Amino acid sequence: MRVADILKWLLLGWLAVVIVAAFFYVRPAEGFIGESSRIVFFHVPMAWIAVLAFLVSCITSVMYLKRREPKDDIRASVSAGLGLLFAVLATTTGSVFARIMWNSWWNWDPRQTSIAILLLIYAAYLALRGAIDDPERRASLSAVYAILAFVTVPFLVFVVPRIYWSLHPDTIINTRGSNEFDLRYTQVLMASLVGFTGLYIWLYTIGCRIEAIRQRRRQEVL
Amino acid sequence: MTDLMGIMVVTLMIWVGLFAYIYRLDRKVGRLED
Repeated sequence: MRVADILKWLLLGWLAVVIVAAFFYVRPAEGFIGESSRIVFFHVPMAWIAVLAFLVSCITSVMYLKRREPKDDIRASVSAGLGLLFAVLATTTGSVFARIMWNSWWNWDPRQTSIAILLLIYAAYLALRGAIDDPERRASLSAVYAILAFVTVPFLVFVVPRIYWSLHPDTIINTRGSNEFDLRYTQVLMASLVGFTGLYIWLYTIGCRIEAIRQRRRQEVL
Repeated sequence: MTDLMGIMVVTLMIWVGLFAYIYRLDRKVGRLED
């Protein structure tokens, strides 16, 4: 068995343990209705992966503009797609939490509004890619767009929700610079972050390989 | 079975199902690359 295969099976076990721990190792946090606080172990890693994926998309876009290698364009588009997927999942889990805590799926809270804008920005990235037929032109324009799109991420994810009053619970990276989670919450959350990062790397690798096969086949047809 | 246990079992099933799907996709991509 190769190392990559061992890591995949390890990921299965790792996230399975995280799921069990999320439900039975920690107790519900004070100040939250019912068991709603447990959603943090899935919602935060999804949001983290979205930001990480958008960052990777930005870096690989810069690399594309520098080296003009088609594989960098593939990496940027795959990562942006995954970022969008995880941002949708983070929004959905956040909305479930909002329904339990505030009795409303959506209430235009600054954090909900900023993630909605972010979703539109990256949906437009994919629309842009779909609208251009010429591969080189598509790669160049979408690389520039991905870099500009990422400029908005720190503002929309970290700045805007902290400027305005928000219903959203205090985040781990808060304005006081302190971690106010208890030890067990921190342990499970960190384990979940590691697991989700592994899942992202795996999906990213598969996505890049699929796109490379598609490109190779297109060239064979031409 | 409590509600919490039920939600955990469903979450685990989703994860195992997702893993199986990705694993199969990974192997299929590997075969296409050869």
